[in-house]
Amino acid sequence: MSAILTIWGAYARWTQRWPALAAFVPFVPLIALWWFIAWLQIFPPVFLPGPVEVVQTGWELTWKGILPDYLADSLARLTVGAAAGMAIAIPLGVFVGLNRKAHEFSWPILLFFQAIGDIAWLPILLVWFGFGLTTMTFVIVYTVLFPVVLNTVLGIRSVKPELRRAAQSLGASPTRILFEVTLPGALPNIITGLRNGLGYGWRALIAAEIIVGTSGIGFLMFDARRAGSVEEIVVGMIVLGVLWYIVDSWFLAPIERATGQRWGLVTS
Amino acid sequence: MKSLALENLVKTYFDPYRGLQFTAIRDVSLTVEEGDFVAVVGPSGCGKSTILNMIAGFVPITSGRILVDGREVREPGPDRGVVFQSHALFPWKTVADNVTFGPKMRGVAKAERAKIADEYLALAGLSHAAERYPAELSGGMQQRVGVVRALANEPDVLLMDEPFASVDAQTRMTLQEELTRIWEERRPTVVFITHDVSEAVFLANRVVVLSKGKVLEEVDIPLDRPRSWDRLVEDETFKALSNQVLQLVRSA
Repeated sequence: MSAILTIWGAYARWTQRWPALAAFVPFVPLIALWWFIAWLQIFPPVFLPGPVEVVQTGWELTWKGILPDYLADSLARLTVGAAAGMAIAIPLGVFVGLNRKAHEFSWPILLFFQAIGDIAWLPILLVWFGFGLTTMTFVIVYTVLFPVVLNTVLGIRSVKPELRRAAQSLGASPTRILFEVTLPGALPNIITGLRNGLGYGWRALIAAEIIVGTSGIGFLMFDARRAGSVEEIVVGMIVLGVLWYIVDSWFLAPIERATGQRWGLVTS
Repeated sequence: MKSLALENLVKTYFDPYRGLQFTAIRDVSLTVEEGDFVAVVGPSGCGKSTILNMIAGFVPITSGRILVDGREVREPGPDRGVVFQSHALFPWKTVADNVTFGPKMRGVAKAERAKIADEYLALAGLSHAAERYPAELSGGMQQRVGVVRALANEPDVLLMDEPFASVDAQTRMTLQEELTRIWEERRPTVVFITHDVSEAVFLANRVVVLSKGKVLEEVDIPLDRPRSWDRLVEDETFKALSNQVLQLVRSA
């Protein structure tokens, strides 16, 4: 019993020092299971490589510079697409959220186009723009756009009317009310929209790279399929998961905590 | 602080479901002198909040006039400070930044705003909470901030819309005593909306009883100041006045 307590105590101390460790520990049994099944050789190793082979392949791809290059390509595409998406989505969301007529008019349209998922656009985009950067950028912008617009509208409309009234009675002009009351009030929703939008955008990008790509993680995985290298496919999958975990828990979640939760606008 | 006058105020709403005009305020005239404290009481649905929202400029008036210091007003403005029942503090601003929001909108410099924050937070006994966010305060503290946020902007008239209705009974008595102390020190012109008769009698110089959109009666409250619950709770005049107002409200 005391041995278990000792181990538990050590775990608590170490994870407090390195919180990233706490995120890795849940994967230990998963990796062990994967390793065990691969070791049993129920499936041929060509179909299901073990963790060791995958790590080796990952190391080789990194060492050769292929993985860093492709990763940089994917991230650059996501950054450009997401930035463009936000630049359109936030002002649009603010406008639709503030203007009742614009809301009545555009809401059905927004919902309609939201339903046509990112990948459903690919066939027609390939006809229009061909296999290239334009198509990929369009898909990411499109995917990021809707969650951000819809959440921004929601955020703007959920700002309590008393807050605007209070600001008016304290002498704030309409412009000051927009920047001091309406936008801060909508910010937690806008960040939630960004978090969702980037998540969807990341997945859409991989799908676009698989179909369109000439580089990037999605291309790496699909290319590996042609070469019959299951190890490389699995490396790509792991990179996707790890990268999103880093972006979400190290960047997006802290912003969300620093705004909405501190202000008591959202509880978690 | 300046005077407030309501002249033949009327408010009708159109009810789209019944296709009828609904009259919330029939013909209300009321004068509040500079430095006076008037409480408006009445049963729910009597139109007391509508009156406050019209004075504040949040809802348009159908006919009549509202004069602040002789000037007619229609839109919301910093001459009429409002304290809300739901406190309406800005959740993303610290207590100090909430209190100095009005001065900031007027273009008061940062150093001067810090002085204003110190002064008014001390007035409300909240100096220790200056850098906290509203969500981190108790309900009573939030209301205190709401009151001094309106005062710190130095309005001509202070409009209070059932500000203590949603705090517990003990805190409410403390807040009433604090408000009465602040009023006795600074003598702002106050219109205080409430459905609590003893609150109205405790705070005000005059209680206006409202019924079905009209003024039923005005009752003067000649109780000595400073007022405190310890002294007034057993006071015969206080009891008699409370009883008189309560009868009026119940008959309304």
